[in-house]
Amino acid sequence: MKRQVPLVLCFLFGVVMCFTQFSPHSFSQSIYDEVVYWALIMSPFALAVGTITLVQTHVIRIRRRTEHWQYSFVVFAGLLTMVVIGLPFGPQHPAFAWLFNNVQVPLDATMFSLLAFLIASAAFRAFRARTFEASLLLISAMIVLIGNVPVGDLIWNTVLSWLPWDNGASEARQWILGNPNLSARRGIILGVSLGVISQAIRLILGIERSYIGGGD
Amino acid sequence: MLSKLMNLDRRLIFIFVALAVIIPTLLPLNLPINVSEPTQKIYDYIDALPAGSTIMIAFDYGPSSLPELNPMAKAVLRHCFDKGVRVIGMTLYPFAPTLADTLITEVAEEAGAVNGEDYVFLGFRPGGEQVMLRMGISIGSVFEKDYTNTPLTEISMMKDITNYGQIDLILDLASGSTTDLWITYVNVKYNQQIAAGVTGVIVSNMYPYLQTNQLVGLMPGYLGASEYEKLIGVPEKGTQGINNASPVHVLILGLVIIGNIVFFIQRRREG
Repeated sequence: MKRQVPLVLCFLFGVVMCFTQFSPHSFSQSIYDEVVYWALIMSPFALAVGTITLVQTHVIRIRRRTEHWQYSFVVFAGLLTMVVIGLPFGPQHPAFAWLFNNVQVPLDATMFSLLAFLIASAAFRAFRARTFEASLLLISAMIVLIGNVPVGDLIWNTVLSWLPWDNGASEARQWILGNPNLSARRGIILGVSLGVISQAIRLILGIERSYIGGGD
Repeated sequence: MLSKLMNLDRRLIFIFVALAVIIPTLLPLNLPINVSEPTQKIYDYIDALPAGSTIMIAFDYGPSSLPELNPMAKAVLRHCFDKGVRVIGMTLYPFAPTLADTLITEVAEEAGAVNGEDYVFLGFRPGGEQVMLRMGISIGSVFEKDYTNTPLTEISMMKDITNYGQIDLILDLASGSTTDLWITYVNVKYNQQIAAGVTGVIVSNMYPYLQTNQLVGLMPGYLGASEYEKLIGVPEKGTQGINNASPVHVLILGLVIIGNIVFFIQRRREG
């Protein structure tokens, strides 16, 4: 029963929601409106589940004294501070906004900024034209890299001014993104979409059952 | 010498990168910016909207992407307020409400735009695609109040706006996969016009949608922000950012070229 009810519900809702996409009848559309509303109501529970999981994970870390367990207290301090201010006063409260703008924004920006240093170092060490394919990738990356900033066109228009076209760096970047990149991305999108459709069919028909805790 | 170059201390590279950012910040560069077609298309679309039209801006990014996406938001907001185009702000990203509200309020004060008449910020709702789909039926059923807790029924500019039918363009400012969702669920189902401003790392993912015209236009990272700033004639942080990023790009390019030259010389010597 524990397994059959979810399977039946999944089949029922899957088939009905598919049907509503092909039927403009008012009854069909009212079902669609209602189910979308249910889904919207259910969404906040994901946030609650996320918070509970975060708390559980860090409680276990502290209890087991795993490596760097002390940092879990920082997580709780941050969580409690924002909840204590945010819940009663709302995110519009100046104290909440101050903490966000002066703690979270610089911390997040700092973490992301470190990428620039790591990318520069990694590019120098790892980006090598070892094979023909790697060489193609390297040349494309270099064109996109330099075409992405105005200095690319400046160099082109100064050094290669004898060529019959201007702004070659940004034009070449645009061509790479709009042709070979586009073709590859479209192939990936089609492949992923077909995979999603086949997975959805497996779920609706009850072939894929891992979401209810068993193997398929 | 060659092996020294091959094993260059990474701390030295970090110093080069730091200098490549610090020097142009202190001594600003003024490089010429050429507007690319995808950014021009967004500008033209908004510019052609008559006063009183409405665009929705989805602030789907957090603080880590703020330097790239905030200048875009600022430039588009300025353009809209200048043209008399009304703006509805919202977000699907839990980190975004505070930064989006701060930004809209700042630009609105500069432009003399009035909250509730020229713009409204609805805030955040969890649910991603469910929020998108439900707004196609009724925005008021998803956001009953705006960010300042004013019921939507009491906001004058929302009186004639029920769903996407009354919105002329949705601009998604994204650091993740939300633009794909806006296209899949809102462009395809509701035939809504979508434009995007995205971080540099996901620009390449957007090109298939540009070709199919599922995206009206696209602002790519700092470059897009600087291009839009050029179009509205107010060069600001986007322009400053792309000028500061230029030496770093040249540095990385130089490092890759040097690394490969050394690699080839070594390989030849080793036979």
